Amino acid sequence: MTDKGSELRRDGDWAVLRIWGEVDLSWSQDVRRQVLEAYAKAKALAVQLDGVSYIDSSGIAALVEGFQHARSKGGRFALLAPSEAVRAVLELARLDRVFPIYDDLGAARSG
Amino acid sequence: MSAPPLLRLDFPARAESLAEVRAAVQRTLSAQGMESRVVARLVLAIDEACANIIRHAYRGCGDGTIALRIARHRGRLRFRLRDRAPAVDPGCVRPRDLSECRPGGLGINIIDDTMDHWRLRPLKRRCGNVLTMVRRLRTRKT
Repeated sequence: MTDKGSELRRDGDWAVLRIWGEVDLSWSQDVRRQVLEAYAKAKALAVQLDGVSYIDSSGIAALVEGFQHARSKGGRFALLAPSEAVRAVLELARLDRVFPIYDDLGAARSG
Repeated sequence: MSAPPLLRLDFPARAESLAEVRAAVQRTLSAQGMESRVVARLVLAIDEACANIIRHAYRGCGDGTIALRIARHRGRLRFRLRDRAPAVDPGCVRPRDLSECRPGGLGINIIDDTMDHWRLRPLKRRCGNVLTMVRRLRTRKT
């Protein structure tokens, strides 16, 4: 596995975008594009963040855009298993109370 | 007399520089015996400040440079970032209301929440801005 990357898979009605590595200004626009493109393939998107070792506000902004896109289109959006680094920034931005956050896709489905 | 810097780092104002900057800041602060959680927060704040300079001061043109200095003096860490971008109006740089859920604009909140105080000063006679951020070593902040 490379030091940073992403993969998109389909699991039933959901698209799951797994991201790993450091998400900063050099890569966050690409992550944003991938999040928005994933909605072309499914009405529900989960972004798996257990492998994200660092995220800055531009990475968080990409997630916020995905969340807002889902709300405007009547789709679902979830964050799966955010790492400690991601949780810390979500809490700092007070977004831990805004995003639907689950341990895994099973929990997101029934949430 | 001010203490010699713990770190002097000059780098291109490009997003690709940020990983190296974070690694250098992380090494420097860890060597001061600081708690890893506090180091991580300070690294994030410095990264956000650099990203703001790249995106908003230089407007992503990629030709500029940034000079980072970190010094420790009288129980405080002082972070100084100098750019050579057009002058930025400090009045336009302030934290936003976090109750609004919208993308962008979080960087200043992170800096404001992490540092004990900070100041952005456009240089009068030369092109550029200086952002100075201070963090007490003993503080209630994370």
